[in-house]
Amino acid sequence: MNQFVQIVVGGLLQGGVFAIIALGISLVYRVTGIVNLAQGGFCILGALLLYSLQLDLGWPTALAFLAAVILTAAFGVALGAATFVPALARLPTSSMLMLTAGLLTFIGGLTLIVWGSQPYIVPPFSGEQPIDVAGILVPSQGPWIAVVAIIIIGGIWYLIARTDIGTALIASAENPTAARFMGVNVARLTLFSFGLAAAIGAVSGAVVAPIMSLQFDAGGFFTNAGFIAVALGGMASLPGAIAGGLFLGVAEQLAAGYVSSLFANGLALALLLVTLLWRPQGFFGGSRRRRDVRDEQRVYRSVVRFSGRGTVVAAAVLVVFLAALPYLVGGALLSSLVITLILFIAVLGLDVAMGYAGQVSLGQSGFMALGGYAAAILATNYDVAPLLGAAAGMIVSLFAALLLSVVTMRLQGAYLALATLTFSLLIDSLTVGLVDVTGGPSGLVGIPSLALGPLSLGTPRAMYFFVLALIVLLIAALAGGMRSSFGRALYAIRADQTAAAALGINVPRYKVAAFAISAVLASLSGSLYAFDFHFLSPEMVSTPRSFEMIAMLIVGGEGTLIGGLPGAALITLLPTVFQPLALYKTLAEGAILVLAFQYLPDGLLGGARQLGRWAMAR
Amino acid sequence: MNQPALEAIGLTKSFGGVRAVADLSFIVPAGIVALIGPNGAGKTTVFNLVTNLFPPDGGDVRFYGTSLRGRTPNAIAGLGLLRTFQTARVFPGMTALENVMAGAHRHVRVAAVAQMLWLPAALREEAALRREAATMLDLVGLARFRDTPASNLPMGAQKLVEVCRALMARPRLLLLDEPAAGLNDAETAETATLLRAAADSGVTILVVEHNMSLVMDIADHVIVLDLGRLLAQGTPEDVRRDPRVIEAYLGTEA
Repeated sequence: MNQFVQIVVGGLLQGGVFAIIALGISLVYRVTGIVNLAQGGFCILGALLLYSLQLDLGWPTALAFLAAVILTAAFGVALGAATFVPALARLPTSSMLMLTAGLLTFIGGLTLIVWGSQPYIVPPFSGEQPIDVAGILVPSQGPWIAVVAIIIIGGIWYLIARTDIGTALIASAENPTAARFMGVNVARLTLFSFGLAAAIGAVSGAVVAPIMSLQFDAGGFFTNAGFIAVALGGMASLPGAIAGGLFLGVAEQLAAGYVSSLFANGLALALLLVTLLWRPQGFFGGSRRRRDVRDEQRVYRSVVRFSGRGTVVAAAVLVVFLAALPYLVGGALLSSLVITLILFIAVLGLDVAMGYAGQVSLGQSGFMALGGYAAAILATNYDVAPLLGAAAGMIVSLFAALLLSVVTMRLQGAYLALATLTFSLLIDSLTVGLVDVTGGPSGLVGIPSLALGPLSLGTPRAMYFFVLALIVLLIAALAGGMRSSFGRALYAIRADQTAAAALGINVPRYKVAAFAISAVLASLSGSLYAFDFHFLSPEMVSTPRSFEMIAMLIVGGEGTLIGGLPGAALITLLPTVFQPLALYKTLAEGAILVLAFQYLPDGLLGGARQLGRWAMAR
Repeated sequence: MNQPALEAIGLTKSFGGVRAVADLSFIVPAGIVALIGPNGAGKTTVFNLVTNLFPPDGGDVRFYGTSLRGRTPNAIAGLGLLRTFQTARVFPGMTALENVMAGAHRHVRVAAVAQMLWLPAALREEAALRREAATMLDLVGLARFRDTPASNLPMGAQKLVEVCRALMARPRLLLLDEPAAGLNDAETAETATLLRAAADSGVTILVVEHNMSLVMDIADHVIVLDLGRLLAQGTPEDVRRDPRVIEAYLGTEA
């Protein structure tokens, strides 16, 4: 009993932190309808600033705390003014979600450069000695977390319920256009909420810093926790965010205490998937009215088409060039080219789901993991032929995709992206947690090379040609589908689901088909990846990979099939070519993602085409 | 006896306590039928109820004798009942021609796999659809816009593209929601010709329209709604003379 209470107390403390983060996410969501995935980045920034001010500069804790929060808020406002607010007027919800993911990566990259990759821990605010409350030990940081949480919750409640700013916030959340006509400066208010959320993030990071070691990439953890908390409680509901946070904290601690800490995260994610299936609006969520309004307003995109003789000639030239590459380069660059092509297969799948059918999927890393581990385990431990292993992985992924479709069928836009994100995170925790099957964090070693019957593809060059041939076949098949009624149906669904259904298009069936294609291709990519490396660890196919694939697709140009290739090449090859700049890779990736979303909505291909047209017109 | 194309029986729908459509029954015979009424009479709501975009609170709709209650919008389209929307809803990101071709969806016979394998049957079907769609755009004078992104077209052209798209589905009954709203005289005449031609080829058309000269010109039968109820129905001549209709549109003289 004592142990149980002890665990619950720990859970409530952790939950309190989750609740504060969730409040920040919920606040921005209320005003903009966007889930701000950058929130966790502000937590880390706040915590690391506190560390530097307190320990490097020797400031007193209270002053350092205050300064860290103010600096983070100022940084948040600057970042919001440069990216989030201007983009909000132009981008659909799903692109905004990715933009905030880019911001999270960007902040992570920035902290990596400033603070390096080692973990930091801040001394507790009031000594190490835990407080004894009737036999229950409460960490000395506990009361601080509780007090801060209560102050923030009360402050936000007061702001929204009792002040003019609060009224204006509600108005611009309900109807931005009408609010604008009533004299509310919606852009400034959005920026205000973004900055306030950054400050709240900094507070939660600073207050938790003494009980958790934090490093540059922990932002993802906080974002996940906060997002799961709001999704459980109801996106736009402040009480929901608090309840969701506390519930999540207690549930995770109980799972860690009584089962295994490896499954704590998995449990939370499974909870979320069940919630999304059963009650997509969360426990406290009321109206779902806001859901698609924005998407329908801003679904417009330009038409990038490849057709006619020019395309055939260009495709032939491209294939000849790609086939000649292994004779021109070798060594590390050739290995990177093989990886580029392998990842491109998964991006190709993503293009069908996202570029054509408009289904933003963050599930690619999860399916890569399924395919990779299934093929690797079968080939390594059971001597199954590698190609058969890959096929088995594809079947597993197909079933997983169909199962996931049951959840995602009713979801659109940001909710769909979040459900697939949850899936990837769940697979992450399984690949780490099922040590007996996957080898856990240290990974699987001794995976054989790919072989076609007796022909082994052990060299990078052989692998390159095999994957290239596979890609040519895949693109030919997909192009055949996309230029015909199948592709038109997907495109129609992306553009306008209601109008598509009114033409007799079975919207759910086509969505599932597109999703299944994307899953199977991701799975294939994962299997090839494992055979190419002869090694597979969870982090090679973990959730950041999903975001990376979206970046590859957006940078290259979605809805074009081939667009993912320059995107994948850029993101994979740059770090190889500029090895000394590896430190800046995360920062660059985040910046590329944000900039591409803001300034190159049609990707490199669309941009190049526009440049060509502009040059022609001169 | 001729079966009516569409039969509404006691349709009822409220939005938050406001009765948009109250116990409405009407019959759509073959030909061109106009559904008219003052603003707020519930015309668009009737379309949305018939196509089950929102389910009615009560009543039933029969399409050539088949009840449409509980069927999804795409299943209803599959039966041959197509509709357009009040604000033109062309698919952005697709050219005018692709938009029209998308309308043929319910007639596509080859499987997606055949399309992916570039099988001759798929190529033939695709070419046939392309020809049919091009002919249709030609017919309404939009041939030069074939490869223009549909959302870049002027509003009138977008509305015509939407009608062409619906006609590509070879509907038995076509519901048109204000096809001439915002069109100039030339475009309106173009639309009238297109509708007449479609009706002559055997498509029954139920059209919501505010342009009375167009309605009187093309309709064989007119249904008048007011405040969600049936006010009158009959030939254009009958309806035009009906004092209740005049009252609903112009109000009573004091």
